[in-house]
Amino acid sequence: MRHLKPLNQKADQVVRAVETDNMDEVRAMQTVVTGCTSTLDPGWEVDPFGGVAALCQPMEADLYGCSDPCWWPAQVPDTINSYKDWNADADNAGKDWRSLGTVFPSDSET
Amino acid sequence: MIRRLRKRHVVGLAGVLLLTPAAGFAQDGPALLDQTCGGCHAADESGALSRIKGQRKTPEGWLMTIVRMRLFHGLEIDNDVQSQLVHYLSDTQGLAPSEAEGYRYVLERDPAVVETIEAPLGEMCSRCHSGARFALQRRTPEEWDLHIDFHVGQWPTLEYQALGRDREWLKIAREEIVPLLSEKFPFESKAWSDWQNAEKTAPTGTWVFTTRLPEKGETYGTLDVSGDSQPYSVTGKLMTSSGEAMDISGKLNVYTGYEWRANLDIGGTTYRQILEISEDGSSLSGRQFLHAEDSLGGPFKAARAGGEPAIVGVVPSTLPAGRDATVQVVGTGLGEMNLSGALETSGGSANDYGASIDVTAEAGTDGMVTITSGDAKAEDGLAVYSSIDSLKVEPDFAVARVGGGGGSAGKMPAQFDAIGYWNGPDGEAGTEDDIRIGIIPATWSLAPFNEEAEHLKDVEYAGEMVDTLGIFMPAVAGPNPERPFSTNNAGNLKVVATSGEATGEGQLIVTVQRWNDPPIR
Repeated sequence: MRHLKPLNQKADQVVRAVETDNMDEVRAMQTVVTGCTSTLDPGWEVDPFGGVAALCQPMEADLYGCSDPCWWPAQVPDTINSYKDWNADADNAGKDWRSLGTVFPSDSET
Repeated sequence: MIRRLRKRHVVGLAGVLLLTPAAGFAQDGPALLDQTCGGCHAADESGALSRIKGQRKTPEGWLMTIVRMRLFHGLEIDNDVQSQLVHYLSDTQGLAPSEAEGYRYVLERDPAVVETIEAPLGEMCSRCHSGARFALQRRTPEEWDLHIDFHVGQWPTLEYQALGRDREWLKIAREEIVPLLSEKFPFESKAWSDWQNAEKTAPTGTWVFTTRLPEKGETYGTLDVSGDSQPYSVTGKLMTSSGEAMDISGKLNVYTGYEWRANLDIGGTTYRQILEISEDGSSLSGRQFLHAEDSLGGPFKAARAGGEPAIVGVVPSTLPAGRDATVQVVGTGLGEMNLSGALETSGGSANDYGASIDVTAEAGTDGMVTITSGDAKAEDGLAVYSSIDSLKVEPDFAVARVGGGGGSAGKMPAQFDAIGYWNGPDGEAGTEDDIRIGIIPATWSLAPFNEEAEHLKDVEYAGEMVDTLGIFMPAVAGPNPERPFSTNNAGNLKVVATSGEATGEGQLIVTVQRWNDPPIR
C-alpha cells in the first residue's frame, strides 16, 4: 500500500482499516439488520464498516450500476433478467428516480 | 355474565377443525393448481406437478413464488385465484409451527433483528437476503439443487460478486450447500406429518389481547372473530392506558391451521397482524404494526376468552411510585386477584378484558409485582419504581430508510424504547444481575455516531427524533444538493435516551430505500 494513495472516501476508509488492523472485522461483517445485504462491493445499504459514509453516495449516481449487473437483486431490481423494463422511463437516475417503482405488487398480500 | 356465556358457547360451537386445507375451497385446490400451473409444470404419474411437489413454504413464501411466476414468466392469474392457491399450498405444503419457530421475525417484519447465520450459509445465501428466507423453506435434495441452478440462471453475476468470485462458487454450492440445506431443511419431516394430522382449532370466538401502538403506548382489548369461511370477519375494541377507546374492524386469513394474517382498522388507521395461533389453540402471539409503515408496531399477545384462566399482561406494566393508579390485568377466567410485593390494592372490578385494580404505590417503593388469580399467574408482570439505576435503548442497533419526496418508496421510520434497570445485588450497572424494570418515559436526542457522521453533518440531514416517543422519522429520499457530492440524507447516528440522571445509547443507520421489498426480505 506504500505506493498507493486513496483517491476517494471509500479508499481512504480501506487504507485506514488496514493501518488499524481492522481488516478481519471488515471481512466478517455479516451482522447487519436482517435483509440488508452484506455483499461488500461496497454494500447496498450499509458499508463494510457498518456505517453509510463509504456507500456510493448519492446512490442514484450508481443505481444503474447496481441494477444492470444485478448486483444487489434482493434490494435493487435487476434489469438483466428479472425486471428488464424497470428503468425504461428513467434515463438519468439522479433526476428520474421518482419514476422508479418498487417491484413487489401491492395487490398481493397474505 | 350473559354475554360471556354466549361467547363461550360460540367458542364451543366453532370447536375443533380436523381439516387441513382452508374451509370453503379445499376440494378445489388440486383442480385450481392443475389449471393454473399445469400448463408449464408437468404432472408425474400421481398427478403431482414438477418443482411444486418437492417444496414446502410459509404463506408468504408461496405468495412470492406465485408473484414471481407472474413477473418473470408471464403467468396471468386472477387475484382471487392467487389467494386461493396460497391457502391451498400453505395448507398442504406448509411448515409445521416448530419448523417456522426461530425465524418468525422475518414474517413479522421486525425491523431490527440482527441474524447470526453461520458459515457456509452466511456467505452463500444471506450475503444477499435474510437467512430466514431459506430457513423458512423445505425442499427435497433435487429441489435444493435446482434452486442453485435457478439462482445462477436468474442472477448470473453472483459468481463474480464478493464472496462468489474468490472461490469455486458452483462447486461449493453443489457439493457443500445442497447437502447441508437438504439435511437442515428437509422436505419430509416428522414435525410436518404430525402437524398435518394434528387437530387444529378455528380462530373464531373472542380473544383478549395486549399490544403497543406506536404513538399510544401500551394498550389492551378484545377481538371477536366470526364467519364460516375465509377471510373471517374481525371486530373488537382497543383501550389505551389513558382510557381512550377505539373500535376495531377488519378481515383475517388463517393459513396452515395457525398462521394468522389480519388487516385491521383501529381507530381509523390500518394495522397488520402477523401472528401464530398456539398449537393448542389457546393463545396468539406475534407482531402488530402499521400497514403503511411496517417498522412501527409492537408485540401482540392474546388469550382465547373462555378458555383456561390466563393473564396476558398488565397495562401499564411499569408504574412510578408515590401515587394512586388503576392497572388493568388483561386475561380470561380471572377470579380473585392477588398482587404480591410492592403494591397495596384498594379495590377492583371485573370487566371484558380481565380485571381493573386500584392500587397505591407508596413513595420510595421499588420492586416487581407478581399477579395471580387461581391458576393464572403473571410473574413479575408489573414493576413499581421510584428510581432507576441505568437505562438501555432497545433496539440497540436499527435501520431507518429515507423515502417519500415523490418517489415510490415511503419513508421507513425507526422506533426505540428506553428500558430502565436496577443494578441488582452487586450494585453495579451493566452486569448480569441487573433487574429489568421495563419501558420508562424518556426524552430522546440524536448525536453523530462517529467522526465521519460529524463531518458530514448526519444529524442535521438524516431526519428527526420525536423527543418523547422514541420514533425517528427519516428525511426525504433523493440526492441532496446541499450535501457533499449531493449525498443522500443517509446518516450514522447515536440515539440517546435520557431519564433523570440515567442515559442510554443505541446506533441508528439511516440508509437508502429498497426498491425490492417482498414479504420475506
